[in-house]
Amino acid sequence: MTEVSIEKLTKDYGQGPAVNSISIRIAEGEFISLLGPSGCGKTTTLKMIAGFEDATAGAIRFDGRDVVHVPVEKRDIGMVFQNYALFPHMTVEKNLAFGLEMRKIPKDEIRTRIAKVLDMVQLTGYSERYPRQLSGGQQQRVALARALVIEPKILLLDEPLANLDAKLREEMRVFIRDLQRRVGITTVYVTHDQAEAMTMSDRVVVMFGGRIAQIGTPSEIYERPANLEVAEFVGQVNIIRGKVGNRIVSTAFGDVPVSGDFADGAELMLALRPEALELLPIHSGATGAPAKVLSSYYSGSLVDYRLELAGGAVVNVQTFPRTRFADGDQVLVHAPAERFWPLGTVA
Amino acid sequence: MNVPSRKRLGPLLLIAPAAILLGVFLVLPYLNIVVMSFRMPGQGTPYGPGFTLGNYGKFFSDFFYVQQVINTLWIGFLTTFICLVLGYPVAWQLARGASTFRALGYALVLSPLLVGIVIRSYGWTILLGNNGIINRTLTGWGLIDGPLPLMYNALGIIIALVHVFLPFMILPIMSAIQGIDPSLEAAARSLGASKVTSFRRITLPLSLPGIQAGCILVFVLSLSAYVTPSLIGGLRVKTMAVTVVDALIDTFQWPFGSALALMLSVTGAIFVVIFGRLTVMKWKA
Repeated sequence: MTEVSIEKLTKDYGQGPAVNSISIRIAEGEFISLLGPSGCGKTTTLKMIAGFEDATAGAIRFDGRDVVHVPVEKRDIGMVFQNYALFPHMTVEKNLAFGLEMRKIPKDEIRTRIAKVLDMVQLTGYSERYPRQLSGGQQQRVALARALVIEPKILLLDEPLANLDAKLREEMRVFIRDLQRRVGITTVYVTHDQAEAMTMSDRVVVMFGGRIAQIGTPSEIYERPANLEVAEFVGQVNIIRGKVGNRIVSTAFGDVPVSGDFADGAELMLALRPEALELLPIHSGATGAPAKVLSSYYSGSLVDYRLELAGGAVVNVQTFPRTRFADGDQVLVHAPAERFWPLGTVA
Repeated sequence: MNVPSRKRLGPLLLIAPAAILLGVFLVLPYLNIVVMSFRMPGQGTPYGPGFTLGNYGKFFSDFFYVQQVINTLWIGFLTTFICLVLGYPVAWQLARGASTFRALGYALVLSPLLVGIVIRSYGWTILLGNNGIINRTLTGWGLIDGPLPLMYNALGIIIALVHVFLPFMILPIMSAIQGIDPSLEAAARSLGASKVTSFRRITLPLSLPGIQAGCILVFVLSLSAYVTPSLIGGLRVKTMAVTVVDALIDTFQWPFGSALALMLSVTGAIFVVIFGRLTVMKWKA
C-alpha cells in the first residue's frame, strides 16, 4: 500500500495555471475523489499523478519518493479510462496479460493471476472474448481488472462511470468501492458527479478553477461546505440571508445562533439543505415559517417542494411523501437551528 | 409473399447508377477481353475466325513473357514495400503530429497527384537521365566518374512509381491511425509499456487495416502502371502493361495482347488474395 502526497502541484499551459499549487495527502488505502465541474483541473491533476502530463511545479510523492520525473510506464500505476481503452485487437485474456508481460511475469503466474482477477470482477469464462463482444458494464470491469491485475501502487480512475446508464452506474459504484476495500489499494477517482464522489469516497477534494475549495469526508463537504460554491455544487441548497447580532442571525425560521467571528451587523449567508426542513400543516400549532406550496415533484421515495415564504423568498424542501401537500396549500416550514451552516458574509 | 417490397427495392436503386456504370464500362469490356483472348490471330485483321487456346500456349511456352510477369511483380512488390516504409512515418506524423504542419504536410503529400502523369514522368527523365541533373551534379562534384544507371532500368521505374503512389499508401494509413483512440496508447503506457512497445503492440496492429488498403492500392496501381514504366524503362526494361500495349497497338495482335492482359490481372489478383488472407484481422469482423 502506498501513501501519496501531492505538494504545491501546479500545471500551467501558458494561459494561467490549470492547476494552481494544490496539496493533498492521500493515506494508504484511502479512496479519494477529485470532484468539480469540467475545467476545474481535476483531470489534469490525475494526469500529472499518472505521468501523462508534466508538472510545471510541485512534487508528487509515492511513499515519500518524488515521481515527478518518472515516466508513466515506470510509475507502477493502474489506470481506468473514461472510455475503458480496452485494446480492441486483443481478447480479454490478452488485455489482462499485457501489463504482466511488460513486467516479465512468468507465463503460468500470468495465467493464475488472470484467473484470480477475472473471478474478482465476476467475468470468469469471458477470457476469450474480444472487447466488442462485451457490454458496457463488462468492458468496465475488464478495464478495472486490467488495472488491478498488475498490483499497482495506486489506482487512478478517470470518470469511469460516465458512459454507463443510470442503473448500471449505481451498481458499479458499489462494485468498485467494494473491490477497492477488498484490495486495499490507494485510489484517486475523478468525477464531476457529486453523488458518485459522496457515495464512494473516504474523502472528497472539491476543486474550482484549478484550486482546492475544500477537502473533507463526504458528510463534512455536504453539511459544512467551505463556501457558497461548494455548497451549491454538492447537492441542492437554500441560501438564507440575515444580519448578525450578538452571535445570532434572525431568519424567517427563527433565531439561529452562529459560531465563528462575525461582526455585529454583518450580513451572513446560511446554507440550509432541503431535507433539513420539515413541512407541517398550517394549523398544527408548531413553530415555523408560514409558506405557500408553489409546486411539487414526486419521485417515489421523495417529494421536492418549492415554497414561497411570507416575505416572497423561495425555498426548496425535500421530504418523504408521508403527508402530501397540494400546490397552493398553506404550510408551516420548520427548520432546526442546528441545521443552518454559515457560508460567510455577503460580499 | 411475392409482392416486391419497396424496402428491398430501395438499396437496389441506390447502387444502380454505380452498378450500371461499372457494368457497361468495366464488366462488359472485361468479358470482351476474355473472349478476345481465345480468338485466332488474324492476318492483317485484329483477329481471325474461330477460337483457340494458342494465345495462352504462347504465353507459357515463351519464358520471355513469364519472366516479364515476374519482373512486373517484383517492381510491384518493391514499390509497395518502399512506399510502406517511407509512407508510414509520414502518415503517423499527419495523424498525430503537431497541427501546425498538418495542412502543409497534407498538401505536400497530395502534390504528386496534382501534376499530370506524363509531365511527372518526363520530369523524372530530366532528373535521372545519364545527362540528367543528378548524374551531372554528382560528376561535377567529382563523386562519380561516369553516370550512374538510374534510367532505363527497374530502379528508375521504382523511384518514379514510389513518387506517384506514395499518397495512396499514406492516406489510408493516416486515416487508420486517426481512427485509433489515443487513450489506447495511454493505457499501454500506464500498464508499463514504453513508447516504442506501445507503438509496436497497439498502434501498429491497429493501423493494419490502413496498411492493408494502402499496400493493395499501391501494388495494383504499380502492376497496371503504363506511362511511367514506358517513359523511364524505355525499350530495355518492359513491364507487362507496356508489353500488353505493344501487342495491341504496335503489332496489332489483339487476341495475344488480351491473353497477356488477363495473365497480368490473374497473377495480380492471386497475390492480392494471398495478401488479404495473410493480414486477416480476427478482432474486426
